[in-house]
Amino acid sequence: MTHQVPFRRSLRIAIFRGLLGIARVNKFSTIARVKKLLGIVLLCCSYAIGAIAQQKITVAVAANMQYTIEAIKTRYHLTDPTEISVVVGSSGQLAQQILHGAPFDIFISADTSFPQRIAQASLAVAPPRVYAQGVLVLWSVRKDILPKPDMALLMAPGITHIAIANPVTAPYGSAAQYILKKYNIYDAVAAKLVTGESITQTSQFIATGAADIGFTAKSIVISDAMKGKGVWVELNRNDYPPIEQAAVLIRQPVANPAAARFYDFLFSAKSKAIYQQFGYLVQ
Amino acid sequence: MIDLEPFWLTAKLACCTTLCLFIIAIPLAAWLSRRSGLFRTVIEVLVSMPLVLPPSVIGFYLLVVFSPGGAIGAFIEQWVGLRFVFSFEGLLLASMIYSLPFMVHPIQAGLSSLPPTLQEAAWSLGKTRWQTLVQVLLPNIRHQLLTAVVLTLAHTVGEFGVVLMIGGNIAGKTRTASIAIYDEVEAPNYHNANIYALILVCLSFLILFILYWSNRKRGHYPMW
Amino acid sequence: MNLRADMTLTAGELVSLYGHSGAGKTSILRMLAGLMKPDGGYIKVNGVRWYDAAERLHLPAQKRRIGVVFQDYALFPNMTVRGNISYGIRQREDNYLTDELLDLTGMSRFAGSPVQSLSGGQQQRVALARAIASRPSLLLLDEPLSAIDNALRLQLQETLYHVHRRFQLTTILISHDIDEIVRLADRVLHLDNGMIEAHPNPGIFFYRDGSGLTGRVVHIDEQQIATVLLRERIIKINAAGSGIAAGEQAAIFYDGAAPFIRKL
Repeated sequence: MTHQVPFRRSLRIAIFRGLLGIARVNKFSTIARVKKLLGIVLLCCSYAIGAIAQQKITVAVAANMQYTIEAIKTRYHLTDPTEISVVVGSSGQLAQQILHGAPFDIFISADTSFPQRIAQASLAVAPPRVYAQGVLVLWSVRKDILPKPDMALLMAPGITHIAIANPVTAPYGSAAQYILKKYNIYDAVAAKLVTGESITQTSQFIATGAADIGFTAKSIVISDAMKGKGVWVELNRNDYPPIEQAAVLIRQPVANPAAARFYDFLFSAKSKAIYQQFGYLVQ
Repeated sequence: MIDLEPFWLTAKLACCTTLCLFIIAIPLAAWLSRRSGLFRTVIEVLVSMPLVLPPSVIGFYLLVVFSPGGAIGAFIEQWVGLRFVFSFEGLLLASMIYSLPFMVHPIQAGLSSLPPTLQEAAWSLGKTRWQTLVQVLLPNIRHQLLTAVVLTLAHTVGEFGVVLMIGGNIAGKTRTASIAIYDEVEAPNYHNANIYALILVCLSFLILFILYWSNRKRGHYPMW
Repeated sequence: MNLRADMTLTAGELVSLYGHSGAGKTSILRMLAGLMKPDGGYIKVNGVRWYDAAERLHLPAQKRRIGVVFQDYALFPNMTVRGNISYGIRQREDNYLTDELLDLTGMSRFAGSPVQSLSGGQQQRVALARAIASRPSLLLLDEPLSAIDNALRLQLQETLYHVHRRFQLTTILISHDIDEIVRLADRVLHLDNGMIEAHPNPGIFFYRDGSGLTGRVVHIDEQQIATVLLRERIIKINAAGSGIAAGEQAAIFYDGAAPFIRKL
């Protein structure tokens, strides 16, 4: 994929060069100086116009989507040059920040309840929309541990620390907690549980081997960064409530068309293909 | 529900850290205050590094080094039976690194401010370096010792970044007061967060008040 | 500056190390004490080598039986007077020494006082007592009376003298004060240009033929009696016939019969 110089920038350069060309006839004559000044003024104006048209947007992304969003961005940039800056955190943390006025344009959460809180606070342009469904996996990089979906192995004495994300702020964490309770082993392993602030920190605990085993998102384990590390197994989807991941467009004092465009892209067929590539389930 | 366990944990961590550091820092400060040269300057810089490094960096590297999946972590677990990740011992080690300059600097400054003839007089009377340190030098820098102890206590109470990285938020073992407050803010449970924060502020105020008050009480004329 | 100290002391004698400031007197003391390492040579005390460059032997201060009185006294502020003195006691048998020294130095009244509350002269006495309590083979005094005012100095010189007589300690006294040296020392070691000259008789050493006392004439009255300001004294002397006027520098001589004044 080649990087194409945006149309507006080339136009600007052309204007300036043209003016300079006229001026080059006699660099020091009054007419030339006036034309040079004119050229500079036009340049400034075109920058102003360009600044309004070519906007930047900030997207707050739940930790499990941190690799997926990069792929979405790359695909998006094939047709739209909008600068997208990404902020990663746990869904709960990000929702908190938005409720307190953080300047994000779009919130891509790992569940539906946090985007709904944004909507309830009248900070959303439209009700939240589900873009994908998350898959919970059990993962370990320790050579002597083999994750299995029945989870009985979590009670083994050889496993000292089990990493999960904070159930209060990370939806994958609450799903993990749910599944442990469903299998009636939550009380037995509660003392072994190690909580990460987000899926990122949880995955860090697992990937460095600090935790013997842990629960994380499928999109993390199949990403390029983590591919091939350790062994993971998908957990039975019926054992935990579906992790429906929703996004919401945040209301701004001045409407940002670039944000609305990217938001719509999140639900396009191209994006859905990417979500599937990263292990999510899509309708 | 206000749970006071994080405060006991914080108190325990602060006291253990201060005690361990006190034992380590005194010989170190004594060595630093009397030496000069390249090696000593390097050590002095290393002691001061935790002042500059972000606590999360310290925590992260401790996590990587002591992870039982790695060589060092596995070795320690096999031979000593300790895991420094997700444990109180790990927090203790991290706190000791993080608060080291707060214990060493006041003691070092205090020892350097004593006239050299004081220890020379003790040596001339046949006392060893260690006897001189304990019987003559340290008793004469009581204020600096108190400053060092209280600063370390207060600094450990406020520790957050390191604990966040290497603690794992385990109730009763690594969920310190600062982490508990953070959790309540995240929940969000502002009511609890406010109460926890208030308790912590009062404790810190008390600690600092003791320091400054006791440093002012003495009115004796200094010897030099 | 190169320092070459070549000296031999007899047991029990009090010698004075004399020289102008910066000559190296304190350095020699510190080397004897083991606080500074010489570049070469040897130090032997009572047959035991404390320092020997050839054998790479350097006994630290702790292992030498020395007593030092520093210029700033270096008393321990965290101990009382009694605590300071008894800190030096090496054997339990010597415990009686603390009380005896308190007596000798006239400090018994202050035994329980903190050292910060003492005057300069009192601190000096405690420092002396502390140095002696450890029963040193060699007592080193680094200008012990330099910070004391004149009135007290005489008294303290007496104390030093009595203490020396009582304990017969081999002592090296660094001093600028000619009075002191003549009164206390058996010999003078003159440190000049990095070399030591021993002089067996301090009184004779300090006699400067022809260059006795110099001062300034402050006032001459009608009877030709001149008031002369000497270094720390003011005297009156008959200046008749000397032709000297007020404000001028004068020298006072003694030719065996009477003192007379001459213009400088």
